Amino acid sequence: MSNSIVANLKLAKAPIYSHCFSQDRSLVAVTLNSDCLVFKLTPGGKPALVATLPDHDKTVTAVDISIHGRIVTCSQDRNAIVWEPLSDGTYKPTLVLLRINRAATCVQWAPSGYKFAVGSSARIIAVCYYEQENDWWVSKHIKKPIKSTINCVSWHDNGIMLACGGTDGYVRAFSGFVKGLDSRDQVANSPWAEKFPFGALIREWYHGAWIHDVQWRSSQEKLAYVAHDGSFNVVDPSDHVSTTFSPEGLPLMALVWINDHEALCGGFSCHPVLFGEGASGWQFSKNIDKDIAPSTPASASTGDDDDEGNAPFGMSALKKFKELDLKGKVSAQVQESTHENAIVELAPYSVTAGNVTEVSSCGLDGKIVIYRV
Amino acid sequence: MEDWRRIDIDAFDPDSGRLTAEDLKPPYASSVSLQELEPKISQLRSAATSGDFLNALQILTTDPPYSADETTKNQYFHAVLGVLTQVRQADITNLVKQLSPKQTDVLVKYLYKGMSVPEGQKQGGMLLSWFEKVTQLSGVGPVVRYLSDRNTV
Repeated sequence: MSNSIVANLKLAKAPIYSHCFSQDRSLVAVTLNSDCLVFKLTPGGKPALVATLPDHDKTVTAVDISIHGRIVTCSQDRNAIVWEPLSDGTYKPTLVLLRINRAATCVQWAPSGYKFAVGSSARIIAVCYYEQENDWWVSKHIKKPIKSTINCVSWHDNGIMLACGGTDGYVRAFSGFVKGLDSRDQVANSPWAEKFPFGALIREWYHGAWIHDVQWRSSQEKLAYVAHDGSFNVVDPSDHVSTTFSPEGLPLMALVWINDHEALCGGFSCHPVLFGEGASGWQFSKNIDKDIAPSTPASASTGDDDDEGNAPFGMSALKKFKELDLKGKVSAQVQESTHENAIVELAPYSVTAGNVTEVSSCGLDGKIVIYRV
Repeated sequence: MEDWRRIDIDAFDPDSGRLTAEDLKPPYASSVSLQELEPKISQLRSAATSGDFLNALQILTTDPPYSADETTKNQYFHAVLGVLTQVRQADITNLVKQLSPKQTDVLVKYLYKGMSVPEGQKQGGMLLSWFEKVTQLSGVGPVVRYLSDRNTV
């Protein structure tokens, strides 16, 4: 294990699609099949299961914890549930009627903690907030011009602009302004638009491949997104898009801003990749948690095409079978990274003065890993 | 009992706004016609006959006619296939080395296109050896980008 790993928690035997740490980092909520599990973390000790949130009856796709400690989960059963923490450590569920006819795919609390956005396969983003009079969470829909499943949503720090990305290949920024909850002062002098009525499309950028994650860098007024073609992209209010590709060429699933000029991405290569902005724009800067450098495609092109040990493509399976055949061993494969399957979500874990120093990740291998950047 | 899994629920919902192939087409500003492509095609042909394959490869991997309709794309592809099949196997690696990453991505798109049409399948061995050389040099990146790109050739 390389020295960039702070913690490596194997919490489940099934994929973890989403995770979220509480504000004080003492609790972590993870999705597991149709449940959401809450673990308590003690330094040096094993994570202890403190609560199971069981009310969904299909796969839970996303979880988020607000600044007040409320947990929101959304699921393929087309519902979202807000879990209010009680003093005895249990949670009181409140069902949120999203009024969608397909799976909910992603959820995020607004920075204020009083509303959240749910993306769905029904080509709808539901912005939900609590109505005191009715003691009820209501949802308002953003529909147009979304053409396909929403994969990711991200709130700007101003709590009004909402970015989303989906399988139609568009990244869009909408206004999630809720009357009575938000004020115009929050978006005063915004470089993106003048007016922010609810549901208004502020900007859209066509990318083409499925968008898997979007994240604002609010202080810089920039938006970054990663896509299935392995690209990492940054756009600014002048619509300038800067694109760079993951070094292995594999799809990227998650991203997190480290500081104003660096972002960490994770995906099918199972280890995080750092991109940095230099004088010549955004570029790949380094791999994290990747000990063994495999033969790069460049070094393999020495001309001797028949040497199968050098061929970077298609040969590992053959080799595996040969080994199985000759030695009766399943594989001599060495684990190259801490995650053994794709990374699907990254989140800041430790932040000092706007710079992220540690990042948490969850993966399809059922692990939560914390990396030092 | 009726097989309810086969019921098309969207047909009962007028608001479903069913996704069509048209919806997923990239937003092109204009469409390239066959007439506009003719000069490029003849350029390709002459470069191939004079044996200047690097030049031909540069032409065909630069600014491909993404916005054209299917028939135009097929016409154009004939010229492309002509170039790809005339190159000697031993020269492929050297030629591919001189392409930029972007050009390599386009080349891979044409290789896949070739393998999907009958004319190309007759030259399957040739296309596969191109493919082999490209992936040896560039890894799986161009393939992943081909699979996820809605700009087709």
